[in-house]
Amino acid sequence: MTKEGVQGATEEEEQQQAQSKKGLKKQQKEAEKAAKKAEKQAKLAAEQQSTEEDDFAKDRYGVAAMVQSQQKLDRALVRVQDLTPEKADQLIWLRARVHTSRAKGKQCFLVLRQQQFNVQALVAVGDRASKQMVKFAANITKESIVDVEAMVRKVEQKIESCSQQDVELHIERIFVISQSEARLPLQLEDAVRPDGEGEEEGRATVNQDTKLDNRVIDLRTTTSQAIFRLQSGVCQLFRDTLTNKGFVEIQTPKIISAASEGGANVFTVSYFKTSAYLAQSPQLYKQMCICADFDKVFCVGPVFRAEDSNTHRHLTEFVGLDIEMAFNYHYHEVIDSITDTMVQIFKGLRDNFQTEIQTVNKQFPSEPFKFLEPTLRLEYTEALAMLHEAGVEMGDEDDLSTPNEKLLGRLVKEKYDTDFYVLDKYPLAVRPFYTMPDPNNPKYSNSYDMFMRGEEILSGAQRVHDAQLLTERAIHHQIDLEKIKAYIDSFRYGAPPHGGGGIGLERVCMLYLGLHNVRQTSMFPRDPKRLTP
Amino acid sequence: MPMYQVKPICGAHAETDLPTCMYKLPNIHAQKGNSCTPEHALQNGEVDPAVKALEARQDEIMRKLHELKAAVEGLAKTVTTPDADLDLTVSSSLSESASSTTFKGVTDLDTVLGKDLGALRDIVINANPAQPPLSLLVLHSLLCQRYRVLSTVHVHSSVNGVPPQLLSCLGPRHADSYARHMFQLGFTLIWKDVPKLQMKFSVQNMCPIEGEANVARFLFKLLAPYPSDPALTTMVDSWVDTAFFQLAEGSTKERSTVLRALNSALGRNPWLAGQEFSLADIACYCCVLQSGSASAAPANVQRWIKSCENLGHFSPAKQLLQ
Repeated sequence: MTKEGVQGATEEEEQQQAQSKKGLKKQQKEAEKAAKKAEKQAKLAAEQQSTEEDDFAKDRYGVAAMVQSQQKLDRALVRVQDLTPEKADQLIWLRARVHTSRAKGKQCFLVLRQQQFNVQALVAVGDRASKQMVKFAANITKESIVDVEAMVRKVEQKIESCSQQDVELHIERIFVISQSEARLPLQLEDAVRPDGEGEEEGRATVNQDTKLDNRVIDLRTTTSQAIFRLQSGVCQLFRDTLTNKGFVEIQTPKIISAASEGGANVFTVSYFKTSAYLAQSPQLYKQMCICADFDKVFCVGPVFRAEDSNTHRHLTEFVGLDIEMAFNYHYHEVIDSITDTMVQIFKGLRDNFQTEIQTVNKQFPSEPFKFLEPTLRLEYTEALAMLHEAGVEMGDEDDLSTPNEKLLGRLVKEKYDTDFYVLDKYPLAVRPFYTMPDPNNPKYSNSYDMFMRGEEILSGAQRVHDAQLLTERAIHHQIDLEKIKAYIDSFRYGAPPHGGGGIGLERVCMLYLGLHNVRQTSMFPRDPKRLTP
Repeated sequence: MPMYQVKPICGAHAETDLPTCMYKLPNIHAQKGNSCTPEHALQNGEVDPAVKALEARQDEIMRKLHELKAAVEGLAKTVTTPDADLDLTVSSSLSESASSTTFKGVTDLDTVLGKDLGALRDIVINANPAQPPLSLLVLHSLLCQRYRVLSTVHVHSSVNGVPPQLLSCLGPRHADSYARHMFQLGFTLIWKDVPKLQMKFSVQNMCPIEGEANVARFLFKLLAPYPSDPALTTMVDSWVDTAFFQLAEGSTKERSTVLRALNSALGRNPWLAGQEFSLADIACYCCVLQSGSASAAPANVQRWIKSCENLGHFSPAKQLLQ
């Protein structure tokens, strides 16, 4: 027993000794740390003092006061895209975003960006800029908006990484107009990087969901700018071409009382004491305009489809470009008009938007879009024969499934080398009740679909303009006549033969550019899983 | 020593009389055995009725032969050198009746193009507007006379624009063109930026055909089968190749050689392949016209050019070059 006790005592002692040893060590370490810290602080203080002393360029840089319209300056700001060798040796002001900044000793290189254009800028220690100014420039956060006064200088070696390759800016004054937070949710270079390159070099690319959640930043990329400028061009060409053909633009209501096409896919809204629906298509109103003697109409507006399809080409809200026109004797007059409009749009894009198309191709490479003029028109029986040759068996009155449509698109591309064509004379059984049946063969109808790159973009037909036939067809399709009474009534007081069709703006842009997801061409897309931004 | 011996059944040595004369006719000039017609009567110049009958038969045959020869010569004349006063505008309507006798032989669309799948069979030709294929336009007008052809002209997006005569080179739009299934054959001409003329028909079963000569041969098969005589077929083919390679694309020296060869060939026969109009004539005429050497051609060639033009099939080609 005593032995243990003795041992215990010695152990305690040892422990105490060990503790004290540890304690000593700890204390020593802390002391060293404190000493180092003190040294550092002293150094910093010394530096600061020295920097503050020597700053002769203090008034040539800084964060400007928030622009609350304090004064109206008559300063002309030059656009980055206008910075060419012609402006060499001029002192100019410009406002742009800081794309990147990189400090290298006594110099700081900045890339200033404005939409699709960027230019290299340089702050160097000299008689105009001080060390502190260079440091400030290097620390400006990315995406901040700056006002810059600079001398434009020509460069001997082309600057490959910028859009303005022949000139460089030597900054004399730089002010931050709107500062950006340091941490960006996504980096713009990553957002523009092609998917394949990202995987190969191990660099990051940005997920589509991330891009859509931070749409404001994603839309600043060169690719997005190009896509939406092209989309604006499509809309513009659509309007111009149709107006030149004598069409009148109309606006149709989007809050309607009854579902016009199939009842299943409409959104319901509460309308005071009752409920109403969001329009699936302007079909009903377009036709009423024709019966009201407007002869040829078109409308551009949103279309709402409550389809729970999560595919690469469906949205719940999209922009519909719809056409309706009265014709004289044959509905092919309508097809000719629509296809000619599409061809004019394609030509306009091919001739005027090449820069945008090339920009998009850098990130999303694809084959250029090909078409024939006049547009190729095939009949449904020919399509069935081509599919049959390729080994696909289909019944005479079957509808084309999506894979068959894609296969047909490839076969047509191989034989005729066109990405755009019309398929005419669909079977009557697969078309809506207001489609006019074929006069000679009751199995077929006067209806047509148009395809781009093997995907359907337009569904149209000659409409039934006779109230009695319309009633018969509705009964045949087991539609409640009460619900469409107003629609049938519009044909009772003299209606001309007419037909038309509608396209989706986003889908047309997506297919023209060869992109793979319609959300890339919709600015703030809506689908069953996304409601913001 | 034989074991068994059988007595001979038939005679040991039988004499058979083998005839040495194969055919025998009764001697016309020999007198009949018992009738005692005096020799004088016969030798006076009167002929035996049998002889007379034979002579009459011979005369009859000779006369028929002469008649046939005259008829054939007459036909040949109308085919090779029709009336020089014939107006070309009239000849186009006449050519319909003339062409039905131009190509003999029947071709079945199904044997050349494959089984009919119940839809329009569309032949697609991609041509460069800088080198319009004249021979194919001529063959197209011949096809239109034979079948119900739906002709369409398209301009591909790779080309910015084509002169209007290239858009209307296949003639006016058919009144029934809205119903594609009513036609037997489709002829779709696409003006496209292609290095070499190309024809596509069935993507699954046929590879594309390249070169105007080959497409011309394919289209000609739809009109008439090649002549059964292999020597004639080879000659036609060699003329077609000469036309497209040396006449159209060759140097001036090559072209003049070809023109001299044409001259000598046409000196012997009215048409290049003998007595009948063939693909060789179509090919050579179009290439001569396209190379611009028609006016400087030797005499026989000039005469042959006139005959070709008189047939009336070549009007689309001439119109295009104007």
